[in-house]
Amino acid sequence: MKFLFKSIVLLLPLAFIAMFYILLTDEDAYPGTDYKTFDIPKFQLENLENTKLIDNDEIKGSFILNVWASWCITCRVEHPFLMNLKNQGIKIIGLNYKDERSDAIEWLDKYGNPYEITVHDLKGSLALDLGVTGAPETFLVSNGKVVAHYQGEVNDAIWSNVFLPIIKEKGMF
Amino acid sequence: MIIEISHFLSILATGLFLLVGLISFITTDTKYTANLISRTFSHGFLLLLVSFIIYIWLAITDNFSVQYIANHSNTELPVFYKISSIWSAHEGSMFLWIIFIALWGFIFNINIKNDEVLKPKSIGVISLILVGFLLFLLLTSNPFEIILPIAPLNGADINPVLQDPALAIHPPTLYLGYVGFVIPFACAISFLINGNPDVRWEKLVQKWSVLAWVFLTIGITLGSWWAYYELGWGGYWFWDPVENVALMPWLAATAFLHSLSVSIKSYHLRVWTILLSISVFSLSLFGAFIVRSGIIDSVHSFANDPDRGLYLLMFIGIILIISLSLFILRFSMIRPIGNIKRFSKESFISINNIFFGSLIFSVMLGVTYPLVYEYLFDQKISVGAPFYNAIFIPIVLIASLFLFLSVDSKWSRNLNFNFFRSPMIVSIILSIASVIVLIYFFQTNNLTFLISVYVGLLIIFRYCIEIFNSFYFKKFINPFSAIAHLALGLLLLSISFNSLLSTERALSIRLDSIEEYKDLKIYFKDIKVVKNSNHDSIKALFFIENSRGNIVELSPEKRRYRTRGQITTETAIHISPLRDIYITIGDQLDNGNWVVNVQLNYFIRWIWFSGCLMAMAGIVLIFSKRKV
Repeated sequence: MKFLFKSIVLLLPLAFIAMFYILLTDEDAYPGTDYKTFDIPKFQLENLENTKLIDNDEIKGSFILNVWASWCITCRVEHPFLMNLKNQGIKIIGLNYKDERSDAIEWLDKYGNPYEITVHDLKGSLALDLGVTGAPETFLVSNGKVVAHYQGEVNDAIWSNVFLPIIKEKGMF
Repeated sequence: MIIEISHFLSILATGLFLLVGLISFITTDTKYTANLISRTFSHGFLLLLVSFIIYIWLAITDNFSVQYIANHSNTELPVFYKISSIWSAHEGSMFLWIIFIALWGFIFNINIKNDEVLKPKSIGVISLILVGFLLFLLLTSNPFEIILPIAPLNGADINPVLQDPALAIHPPTLYLGYVGFVIPFACAISFLINGNPDVRWEKLVQKWSVLAWVFLTIGITLGSWWAYYELGWGGYWFWDPVENVALMPWLAATAFLHSLSVSIKSYHLRVWTILLSISVFSLSLFGAFIVRSGIIDSVHSFANDPDRGLYLLMFIGIILIISLSLFILRFSMIRPIGNIKRFSKESFISINNIFFGSLIFSVMLGVTYPLVYEYLFDQKISVGAPFYNAIFIPIVLIASLFLFLSVDSKWSRNLNFNFFRSPMIVSIILSIASVIVLIYFFQTNNLTFLISVYVGLLIIFRYCIEIFNSFYFKKFINPFSAIAHLALGLLLLSISFNSLLSTERALSIRLDSIEEYKDLKIYFKDIKVVKNSNHDSIKALFFIENSRGNIVELSPEKRRYRTRGQITTETAIHISPLRDIYITIGDQLDNGNWVVNVQLNYFIRWIWFSGCLMAMAGIVLIFSKRKV
């Protein structure tokens, strides 16, 4: 009885510690990651500069679809990494989400534009169809199909653990 | 340049604390080493304090070459918020946390004489804990980092929801409570190492523990009050994971204080007391781990990386292994001698410990279950109010009933009294009468409500009789216990009334029109856009008339902060003793109407008042001369 009590006193807290250790060091666990595959929903929206309409046919091939807004602070944090990707020759399409056109253009002028095309989604309709909950979010698209989705800031760790394995597997870019 | 001085002083302090720890554990206790330890510790604290004061000064003078200050402060902020911006994020708040541990250690150090047997090792334990946290600060979350080569001019901004007086003082108060339990923990370890069962460590730590408990109580109450008016959700408690990790140390601390009062008088319940002192402190550390490791999402969690979490987890692990192994080694020394008398105060307190233990365990389960579930099944679930209510309501009510019974019990004696001539029967009759009046008045048959009110009233009447007796018949009364338990009774009543009576409705109102809700006529007078120094806001104006024809003006706001683009809701609250009228505005609908959320929160002030009353009880105990 005494032995049992002593063991419980020592082992119960240690079991909790061990459990949290497993939870913390779980490499695959990047919350906000989703590998569901689906077609990009049908849409027709203006580009950010308001010079033409963009629909599914305008965006073909393999690219990164990045949801951003000038009011989103994390997007500002994420921005240098996207510029980096662009310089590596990766095609990025921006989805400007619930944002004022002028604010967004000013933002890109100020910090640099990593996007080949930016779609202006003022009401968030395309974003809604894509299952976006906020900004920033990033989709990996291969031939019109979304193959990976990450909610939150993409950085080196996320890029190499969430997106790169899929990119290698599919031989994209 | 100045920041490097501050940085260097912190490193130096770490060295001194390490030295204190080594001296206290390696050398044998002599008068000489005791003095040495005490002095060196004080010097370490002074170095750390100067380092922190320099840091505050840098924040006040907008020294944005310091990365942390540049990221969290702004030239536009009033001085008060420049200072509080220090604890608005991870690195700075960790710094504050460390300062507080050292401060407790320092005050303990200068208040306890050097010839106290347990003192050198206690100071040693505190020093080693400080070393652990300082290394964590300096290695993984350095607030002293500088921006090179050029500093930004204006700085970023403190999170707008944190620009609030209650929130500026809520974290420091809570931290003072959390880390205050380092004193009983250190003394318990020192007692276990010492190995002499006749050393009364319990007497040494009682007032310190009560003081820490007072801070914890006030800190939690302040946090609840802040969330109510600032986050715009209404309500006083959300079972948010971070609220829960503050609740666990509080529950453990409360059980610890009860258990301590037994161990001080006799040698009983020492196993409980020591285990609880270890639990309170490790649960406080666990709270820090949960908030800072990023393992859960919450209003409170800091931006974070897993390395920090891992460090803290290992730190807690080491502390637990060492302290629990010591406990097991010395088990025979603290083992209970003889049995506790049936129905004595001791027996009630040990039952109370079991209730509190189960509460802590269930909260722990509620916090960890979603994490484990998500890990195993890859699905997010949330454990919320239904789970906690199902567990807390019955356990708290039963524990309160036991409390009611325990008022008549005596220390180390069987309960023997004439039931029909005791104050107990008077309280029971009074409570039943009140509940019948309530049933008639509110026309309710909500059983949970009635039982909770009944139990609350039992406690209140019982203690009121005690207080009455102490005034008129000079009967002995423990003022600490009386006030704290009255506060518990009041808390039960206010929570029950709050959940029975409070209502909420989202109204859609057109400008210049009147909507009716309950006994209120709500007239939407005006809405306008206001530009302020750091935010734009939409400000509405309502005239609200109640059934007696009193009219109040309320103007809720919605703000958008320019620097961060964050949108916050500013509630408008009309406070009266029994209820709050609580209004927030939402979005404008397509037909031009505005969504306005109206809440009537009854007795909500009484909930916080009860919290303050409990803290008051603690203050009474600290200042009372008599032994308790």
